[in-house]
Amino acid sequence: MKRDHQEISGSGSKPAESSSIKGKLWEEDPDAGGMDDELLAVLGYKVRSSDMADVAQKLEMLEKVMGTAQEDGISQLGDTVHFNPSDLSGWVQNLLIEFNGPTTTPDPNFNDDSEYDLRAIPGVAAYPPVKSDPGLENTRKRAKTESSSSSSSTTTRPVVLIDSQEAGVRLVHTLMACAEAVQQDNLKLADALVKHIGLLASSQTGAMRKVATYFAEALARRIYRIFPPDSLDPSYNDKLQIPFYETCPYLKFAHFTANQAILEAFSMASRVHVIDFGLKQGMQWPALMQALALRPGGPPEFRLTGIGPPQPDNTDALQQVGWKLAQLAERIGIEFEFRGFVANSLADLEPEMLDIRPPEIEVVAVNAVFELHPLLARPGGIEKVVSSIKAMKPKIVTVVEQEANHNGPVFLDRFTEALHYYSTLFDSLEGSGVAPASQDLAMSELYLGRQICNVVACEGMDRVERHEPLTQWRTRMETAGFSTVHLGSNAYKQASMLLALFASGDGYRVEENNGCLMLGWHTRPLIATSAWRLAGTESGSELTQELS
Amino acid sequence: MNYGFLSSFFQKDLFLVLGFVFECLKERGMAGSNEVNLNECKTVVPLNTWVLISSFKLAYNLLRRPDGTFNRHLAEFLDRKVPANLNPVDGVFSFDVLIDRATGLLCRIYRPATAEEPEPNIVELEKPVVGDVVPVIIFFHGGSFAHSSANSAIYDTLCRRLVGICKAVVVSVNYRRAPENRYPCAYDDGWTAFKWVNSRSWLQSQKDSKVHIYLAGDSSGGNIAHHVAARAVESGIDVLGNILLNPMFGGQERTESEMRLDGKYFVTLQDRDWYWRAFLPEGENRDHPACNPFGPNGRSLEGIKFPKSLVVVTGLDLIQDWQLAYVEGLRKAGKEVKLLYMEQATIGFYLLPNNNHFHTVMDEISEFVGSDC
Repeated sequence: MKRDHQEISGSGSKPAESSSIKGKLWEEDPDAGGMDDELLAVLGYKVRSSDMADVAQKLEMLEKVMGTAQEDGISQLGDTVHFNPSDLSGWVQNLLIEFNGPTTTPDPNFNDDSEYDLRAIPGVAAYPPVKSDPGLENTRKRAKTESSSSSSSTTTRPVVLIDSQEAGVRLVHTLMACAEAVQQDNLKLADALVKHIGLLASSQTGAMRKVATYFAEALARRIYRIFPPDSLDPSYNDKLQIPFYETCPYLKFAHFTANQAILEAFSMASRVHVIDFGLKQGMQWPALMQALALRPGGPPEFRLTGIGPPQPDNTDALQQVGWKLAQLAERIGIEFEFRGFVANSLADLEPEMLDIRPPEIEVVAVNAVFELHPLLARPGGIEKVVSSIKAMKPKIVTVVEQEANHNGPVFLDRFTEALHYYSTLFDSLEGSGVAPASQDLAMSELYLGRQICNVVACEGMDRVERHEPLTQWRTRMETAGFSTVHLGSNAYKQASMLLALFASGDGYRVEENNGCLMLGWHTRPLIATSAWRLAGTESGSELTQELS
Repeated sequence: MNYGFLSSFFQKDLFLVLGFVFECLKERGMAGSNEVNLNECKTVVPLNTWVLISSFKLAYNLLRRPDGTFNRHLAEFLDRKVPANLNPVDGVFSFDVLIDRATGLLCRIYRPATAEEPEPNIVELEKPVVGDVVPVIIFFHGGSFAHSSANSAIYDTLCRRLVGICKAVVVSVNYRRAPENRYPCAYDDGWTAFKWVNSRSWLQSQKDSKVHIYLAGDSSGGNIAHHVAARAVESGIDVLGNILLNPMFGGQERTESEMRLDGKYFVTLQDRDWYWRAFLPEGENRDHPACNPFGPNGRSLEGIKFPKSLVVVTGLDLIQDWQLAYVEGLRKAGKEVKLLYMEQATIGFYLLPNNNHFHTVMDEISEFVGSDC
């Protein structure tokens, strides 16, 4: 049966003879058009049906080219940096370029120009550069980043059960029943159940006991309307973050992956400016500064703007951190400038206050590690901040957030989600090598316990722990006019290796998700790092150079 | 090795071979000899299947190093995973259980959502199964002992299907993989999972307060299923049936199918050798009983209460001779075995529901499990 080549859009011509053999099996669905192949989508691959034949062709080309190479050479392709494996077409295309280099001749019938931007091929410029760029602009990864990740309307509730025990189940059951009573405003029943939980929890051990205790306390506060006294003092929280940083890898992962993206965005710049939406103890920056100091060609001038909440004792905590970092900068030979800004909320910031210099002069990175979700507590908060970010004209925006759905409209749902989430988190602390009685562990648990209290006991503007999953943040950022900057296999690998070094618990896993990286405990993702650029601009961060 | 049993297949094979030769000549005349291999397998699978399996093949080529090491970081980066989901999707919900902290052994459990509890919560996860007879299928994913995980999208999808078609609870085992964990780690993990399943009171069928266990797996998973079944019966625990999809077996000698189909349908002899070298104890060859259970170092199952087996072999799988030898080994030992030989199917046909082989096999599996209910 003769095929009609026009059905396969963008595939170019193939020898007509072979088409008749394929005929029947490769019936194109005329309605497919620009839709993703449904069957592959279920398996995690986004390929437009109309692109299928083209992807097949590229796979064939790759096979041919690899077939003539030495075995060694093939596995060396494993050292190439890979991006966003869900985008099969882009992945294969990039491998072709990697393997073939500039000798890949584009099919003349292929009409999608963005894929074959020959300026992107390192070493050989088929077209003369249109404008002088500060660095090598690698546009090839850009091609498929426009395919927006579909924000699924159905939510996922991932659960990992640890050592399911009968007693533990009864405890969970009672917690749930209590939360349900609260949901139904049956406070008398809720009160009775909360007391029962206390009894049950005392007979438990380990993570389950601690989690249950925190949730019970939070429920009690909600029932009796005794709200946490120091929830209004964010500086206490900042201090609790240090032991949390020490005892488990979540913050280290957050800082590391964000820094990777920032480093790549800064790669050729001579003046860089990081705006840290939550400076706290500044733990993220020494590593970045050291990496910048070691940059081939020398370090850039490094400017750091740190934002933080007012201190109860009126000390200038920001300046203290800035001072410490300045001392480090001097030791390692980087020109360093620091500015601190006190703000009750990020929404109070105006970009003009930050003295941001134009993009030709300095390259800007905005960094927000667990800083965006509190903005959801105030109407208009997040929108204001996102638009401020845009006004800062950053080359890259790094966002790390909890991978959880703690901001749904129904209390009982939030409670249930939080119970799963924090059970998993506490379990990971248990599973790590930290000695159970250590001060740091206790403080880390308190740090998490305060979050639990906020999610369960607070409402309205007080409820700031409004965690939302990556799919929702993606939608928000994309709607606001940002596109994903893909974190690649090099960042993945280094994050995994970091875990092996710092996290003695074997259960930590890094996962790639449409260009973002997530850290989880076993199969449950717990935090997600994503990187963004203003849509239509080039971040240049998807370079293949490995940055050690 | 006894070739006698192959005589009934030889006729089929002859036509296949002639067919291939004809296609080869046709292709050769037109597109150049390099195109032969690629175009052959494109004629027998739908386009999206071809793209899927080819990209796996490509990725896997990048991961195996000639020195026997494996690029695990890249493997995990590339693998598409899905989280468990308490929210039922198409009537199935799932959750993960850490069943052995020491080894980090995790299983993903798939249960049918019921009308009474359309949105299961954490308390209901281990609610007793309802039914006179509820099959529990312990599933071992494929990947030639080195690739994939229980939470790989391809296997999550397959397990969800099995719940529906068999009205079963499915337990997918996230066993340790080669080359970091060689034989017998995968089998040990399989055995740990088996004992765990067998000891769950909530998985017991009401008829006899016993867990009705089936073992299933594809590729290396099929191999694991066999060995776990053998260990189970040795320990006096009943297994109701084995379901092996393209099970991974092999041996030292080169069989006819291996030579004929080498490199033709996504798989090469070279990669098969690599995976065995990565899994088997160092210094062992492919006649090790793990690889060749009915080979020179194998053990007869005569007199042992080995479960009935459903073995699916595809005509375009280069190791089919070993799989057929396995079936013959079961028969010779007097074990009940049904062979499903899918002539025009390649490996991985069961990953996408876009071909007749898929539906045929799912129906057979359903019947195989259903016949006990």
